[in-house]
Amino acid sequence: MLVFTRKRNDAIIIGDGIEIRVLRVGRDSIRLGVKAPPSVPVHRLEIYEQIVEANRAAAARRDLPAAVAARLGKKTEPTK
Amino acid sequence: MTAAQGEGAAPDVLRLYTHFGAFNLKTDDVIAFPSGLPGFESDRRFVLLSAPSYEPVQCLQSIDASSPSFLVVDPRRVLPDYRARLNQSDLTRLGAADETSLLWLAIVTVSDDGLSANLRAPVVINPARMLGFQLVPSDSVYPLRHPLFAEAE
Repeated sequence: MLVFTRKRNDAIIIGDGIEIRVLRVGRDSIRLGVKAPPSVPVHRLEIYEQIVEANRAAAARRDLPAAVAARLGKKTEPTK
Repeated sequence: MTAAQGEGAAPDVLRLYTHFGAFNLKTDDVIAFPSGLPGFESDRRFVLLSAPSYEPVQCLQSIDASSPSFLVVDPRRVLPDYRARLNQSDLTRLGAADETSLLWLAIVTVSDDGLSANLRAPVVINPARMLGFQLVPSDSVYPLRHPLFAEAE
């Protein structure tokens, strides 16, 4: 991992135009500003990881569509 | 999922065998997800499959990488007044001028407790451009696991 020392209002730049600036430094937290093109999504890591976990749990196993159909009270055609 | 180029079929028709059924797909049916989905970042191409047996649930099937598939449902079938917010860069990612005519899908999870829909992080697709992504909101009034079809029990 690259490690930088930055002061308030200092920034780093990543690749083509992704800029991360230190806006405020508190005792237990810092406030960061991120400038990135719309094609680059920026998320808080813990929120992204929640969605990763939810997606992994949702990725369908072979028996899942049939389980859903059973819940809906419908009959399924056997898959060839 | 297995795919086979059907013999005698037009070259752009793909025969797709999935847990959800067998489908003939054209290249026009492919929806691009330039960032994949969280946890499935290598899956950049998906198709949306429907079958009467599973209505209103549909299947978002990857045709890339490990080919995961996701059961999905229109979030407004779950909560009629459902409304997630998109900002300008979300619209830019979708190549959309505004929110009209976007397709919203909530990913369905099957667990021992039954079915639930992820209303917090919906998949959004612009059908006009066949472009999609999964919204990861920093704050949302909607839960990750909203019970589905609970009224049927």
